[in-house]
Amino acid sequence: MIEVKGLTKVYRQEGRGIWNISFQVEPGTAFGFLGPNGAGKTTTIRLLMGFLKPDSGRVTIKELDCWRKKTEVKKFVSYLPGELHFIENLMGEDFLDLIAGMHGDDQRIKKNRDYLSGTLELDLKILIRKMSKGMKQKLGIIAALMLDAEVLILDEPTSGLDPLMQKVFLDLILEEKRKGKTLFMSSHQFLEIERSCEQVGIIREGKLLAIQSISQLREAEYQTFEIEVDSDEDVELLRESPLDLTPIHGKCFVVRVAGDLDNLWLALGQVRVKRFKEHFMELEEAFMDYYR
Amino acid sequence: MNRALFRAMYKQYRKKVAAISTGIFLYQGLLTWVYPIIAKNPAVIDIAETMPSTVKTVFGVSKNARTDTFEAFISGQFYARIWVMLMALYGVQTANALLAEMVEDGSLALLLSTPVSRSEILSTQTGVLLSTNAILVAVTIVGLFIGTFCSGIEINHLNYLLLGVLGIAFFSVIELYSLFFSAWFVEEERALTYAVGLTMAFYGLDIVGGLSDKLSWLKNFSLFQCFQPQEVLEGTVNPVLTIIGLSVTSAVLWFLTQKVFEKQDLAI
Repeated sequence: MIEVKGLTKVYRQEGRGIWNISFQVEPGTAFGFLGPNGAGKTTTIRLLMGFLKPDSGRVTIKELDCWRKKTEVKKFVSYLPGELHFIENLMGEDFLDLIAGMHGDDQRIKKNRDYLSGTLELDLKILIRKMSKGMKQKLGIIAALMLDAEVLILDEPTSGLDPLMQKVFLDLILEEKRKGKTLFMSSHQFLEIERSCEQVGIIREGKLLAIQSISQLREAEYQTFEIEVDSDEDVELLRESPLDLTPIHGKCFVVRVAGDLDNLWLALGQVRVKRFKEHFMELEEAFMDYYR
Repeated sequence: MNRALFRAMYKQYRKKVAAISTGIFLYQGLLTWVYPIIAKNPAVIDIAETMPSTVKTVFGVSKNARTDTFEAFISGQFYARIWVMLMALYGVQTANALLAEMVEDGSLALLLSTPVSRSEILSTQTGVLLSTNAILVAVTIVGLFIGTFCSGIEINHLNYLLLGVLGIAFFSVIELYSLFFSAWFVEEERALTYAVGLTMAFYGLDIVGGLSDKLSWLKNFSLFQCFQPQEVLEGTVNPVLTIIGLSVTSAVLWFLTQKVFEKQDLAI
C-alpha cells in the first residue's frame, strides 16, 4: 500500500534531512515510525503527503507517486499533522464542514464526525482560537478519522492528549485497524506504537536504523535486574554462574536474562542477596539493543 | 475554485471587509457633506489654485488639473492618496495572510491533505482576495453615489463606475504580485517585505516624479501612473486600455504564481 524506496530529502540551508530511506507498509497493517525530535519523521511524512519533492528515490501510495500525483493520492489518505494549526476564527464544526466539503461533502463523513466528537467528548461549537491544545488535538483526530480513508498518516497523534484520551485514541485506532485500514504513525512513545502497529521502524539523524516486527521484538525481549551481594565470595560464585553480568560498582551487578529465569534463581540460591531490583525494559530498549 | 474553502475563508475575512467598508462609507459621507459648504467659499478655490505644483503632487493632484471641481476635491482628499494606499495595504496584507502566513503557521497543511489541488486552493484564495477587493471598491463607488445624491452634488456616474473598474484592475495587480511573493518565498516576513517594498517603491517614484520636471521620467516606472482618478472622473482620460493592460498583467502574475506554487516545497 505504501512504498518508500531510496528516499532522500535534504534541507540545504540546515543540512538536515533524510537519506536513503526504504520501507513498505502492506495493506491493512500498521507501521510505527519511531525516533527522537529532528530525526526525520515529519520530513518523511511530508514526502508521503506530497508537500515536499524528493531529492531522489520514490514514495508511492497505492502505486501512485506521492509528489506527481499528490492530489489523486489524497482521495484515499487522511492526515493528522504533528503541529496542528487551524483557521482560527472558525468554530470546530465549521472547520470540520470545510474539510468534509473539500472531500466531497459525503453524508457518511458527517455521521462519523458526530460519533467521533461524542467519543472524544469535544464540543464543536467552540471557536478554534479559544480551544486548548488538547481540544485542538481532538479536533485534528476527528478531522482525520471522520473521512474513513483507506490510509491513515498520523504524525505524533497523541501529543497534547491526557492519558485517558490517549487510551480512547488507541481504541479508535484499533477500531480503524479492524476495518482494514492501513496505518502509518510516527511517535516518540514506543508504547502506543507497540500496542497499535505490527511493524516498527527506528529513524535517527535522518537514517532508518532498522525495521522490525513487534512480534520478533517481543521474542528478543529480555529482562534486567540489579543485584547487590554481601561478600567477595558471593561475587565469585556469581561470576562462575552462567549469568550475563555487568558490574556497576563493588558487589553490585546488572544481570540480563533472556527467556526463563531458572538460571537466575539457581545462582541466587547460592549467595546472600543484599538488594534485588527489577529494571522494567521497554521494547524500545530491546529493539535498539537488537541492532547495537 | 473550491466552494467549501471559499465559504470558510470568506467567513474569516468578512469582519475586516465590513470594518473597512464602514470606514470608507463614513469618510466619503463626511467629504460629500462638507463639499457644498467649501464650494460656496471662493477663497478655498483660490488657495488651491495658488498651491505650488509640488504640493499638489503630494496630494495626488496632477500639475495641470483643475482644482475647482468636486472631482478635484474628492480625488485630492480621498481617491488619489488615502484610498489608494488603504486598498494597496489591504491587498498586500491579505494576499500575505491567505498564502505565506498559512504556509508558515502550518494551517495550509490540513487543506492540502484533501483531494483539492494546490492550483484550486490558490485559485480559491485568489478568488477571496479579488472578490473582497471588488466589494471594497463597490462600497466606495456606491457610497459616493449615495453621498453625492444626499448632498445634491452633480456627478457623471459613468466616470465613477469606470474609476471603480480601474480600481479593481489596479489593486488586483498589487494583490497578485503580493500573492506571487507569497508563493515564491513561502515565508511570511520575506513575502511581506518584498510586497510592501515594491508597493512603496512605486508610490515613491510617483511622488518624486511629480516634484520637478527633471524627475518626471521616474513616473514612467511607477505602477501608480496607471491610476489617475481625477482625470478619469473628469473624463479627460479613457481608462479602458489601462484596465485591459492591468487585467492582462494580473492574469500573467496569476499564471506565474500558480506555476511557482505547484512546484514549491512546503515544509508544513
